[in-house]
Amino acid sequence: MMPGRPAHPAAIDIGALRHAWPGEADILRIDRFHVAAGERVFLAGPSGSGKSTLLGLIAGITPCQQGRVAILGDPVGGMSPARRDAHRAAHIGVIFQLFNLVPYLSALENTLLPLRFSPQRAERVRRTGQTPVTEARRLLDVLGLDETTLGKPATALSIGQQQRVAAARALIGHPGLIIADEPTSALDRESRDGFIDLLNSECARTGAALLFVSHDTALAAGFDRHVDLRDINRMAIAA
Amino acid sequence: MSAPLTRLARKSLLNRGVSVGLTVLSVALSVMLFLGVEKIRTGARDGFHATISGTDLVVGARGGAVNLLLYSVFHLGDPTANIGWDSYERVATAPGVAWTVPVSLGDSHRGYRVVGTTPAYFDRYRYGRRQALRFADGRGFDGIYQAVIGAETARRLGYGLGDEITLSHGIGEVSFAEHTGHPFQITGILAATGTPVDRSVLVSLESLEAIHAGWDSGVARSGAQAATGGSGLQPDSVTAILVGTDSPIRVLSLQRQINTYRGEALSAVMPGVALSQLWRVIGAGETALRAISVLIVFVGLSGILTALSAGLNERRREMAVLRAIGARPQEIFALMTLEAAAIAFAGALAGILAVNLAFLAVSARVMRRYGLDLGQAGPGLTDLGVLAAVTLAAAVLGSWPAWRAQRNALADGLSIRL
Repeated sequence: MMPGRPAHPAAIDIGALRHAWPGEADILRIDRFHVAAGERVFLAGPSGSGKSTLLGLIAGITPCQQGRVAILGDPVGGMSPARRDAHRAAHIGVIFQLFNLVPYLSALENTLLPLRFSPQRAERVRRTGQTPVTEARRLLDVLGLDETTLGKPATALSIGQQQRVAAARALIGHPGLIIADEPTSALDRESRDGFIDLLNSECARTGAALLFVSHDTALAAGFDRHVDLRDINRMAIAA
Repeated sequence: MSAPLTRLARKSLLNRGVSVGLTVLSVALSVMLFLGVEKIRTGARDGFHATISGTDLVVGARGGAVNLLLYSVFHLGDPTANIGWDSYERVATAPGVAWTVPVSLGDSHRGYRVVGTTPAYFDRYRYGRRQALRFADGRGFDGIYQAVIGAETARRLGYGLGDEITLSHGIGEVSFAEHTGHPFQITGILAATGTPVDRSVLVSLESLEAIHAGWDSGVARSGAQAATGGSGLQPDSVTAILVGTDSPIRVLSLQRQINTYRGEALSAVMPGVALSQLWRVIGAGETALRAISVLIVFVGLSGILTALSAGLNERRREMAVLRAIGARPQEIFALMTLEAAAIAFAGALAGILAVNLAFLAVSARVMRRYGLDLGQAGPGLTDLGVLAAVTLAAAVLGSWPAWRAQRNALADGLSIRL
């Protein structure tokens, strides 16, 4: 821990953020967006609201042009690209809408992948007294994937199974922030509700903050807070 | 962070087994072709340079070095003139000369050159790494009207020990002046050497003198009685002399001495120097051959480029996932480059193994039959060099699709294209 750093810095602390893609008008203008440590936030945002850009900035894939982006107390906005990548590897788990898995790896190998890219995450697993494989198996088991699916290649899994493997991969090694971008839009209603419950309970258990993005506000019920991107992004009003 | 990348590259390649396998095969075939050509090329060149060894000087009538080498060693073309016997004796007794072997050319048998010489030829003529001639069958000649034939002469004409052959005057395949009155008996057959010796018929100088007795005008004088005894058959002249010296440091001074000999216009050449000159003339084809086989390797490598570029769009999502997990753009680049290099490495390795196995299988037979030394079987420095060069070239070529994948990954950011 850095000296002078609060014990539980905010998961996301964005201030006076402005962003425009080259040659275009501003797509984002956010005065303040805050997600506390361990807080589970539902972010509603239709396409075109600057949602993807915001997630890119939070994850540190998109460089910050103007304003403050601090993730878990670290000023991601001011970091070099390489440090942003390392920060993302160590502290953020990402779940996409679809095609989350590396097709030529098994479910188990996909889950273990973040530990290979981040020594910090691997170290956190080791500190719990687990080996990477037992931790991955535990997570996959909690998320309802049975033993027989673990060795299967990603392409042999159903979409529901793929999404749960993606969740296990995002959660492994206790990252402080999980970003889920429309993770349930490809699932049927039943598995959708089950998925959200599991994700919420696992985040609660590990203390990870969750930023759950969806256009379907019907899903917002189980979250600590509900934010509409159009309310915080002053540029989206025109869109 | 290369450990996860090598693992990913391996799994990714194994996953695309068939198409990667075919690409590996095309690289393997091109490398096989390149190495095969290369091995035969060096075998031919070494074989050529090993045509004559252990002889310090070849002496003939004054003329060009290459020409002298061509007619005296390769039995190609005609000598400009002969050397008088007294000149031969002067050379043989010159200080520093350890041994001499006279060679007399001009007759043939069914297109195969007849070489008149002394029994010392079998001890002194060396080829390759100073290998001596070896008899596959029989022994050398020890009297007149006896002949020793080279391996190819024996094989092509189907001759065995004890067979009788007649010599022809001149060197054409069909001759109108046959020495029919004096058949020669084959007393020995030499093992294959890969040198012009294989295509020759060796007889003693006295035998040549005996069949030519009375041929002063170039045609058989009617009623002439050819001598049959061993005495009184000393030739007037010889075509060339192979000379060995006591010590290598005397070669240059001896050469100068012979070249400036006042009794007769002579030329002395060092076979190694003349061979190199000759190879420079006939070796031009080898450069072309080599250029073509290098190009074929590039054709094989371009297959890798095709394979990687074709999968680029399908792999966009995979790259976005890797980026989300924390892979840097350089790691996406490295992954693709690694895959290209791995395909090339596997292909080159397979090609090298195959070509070495093939040479192992045939080299003994080629050696026995043609006397051509294909070099040591088993991977050598050339193979290692090819392995490294092909892998490196593939990595460089692979950097093009790798760069495109990296650029895509940067453009896609944290979004997956559906």
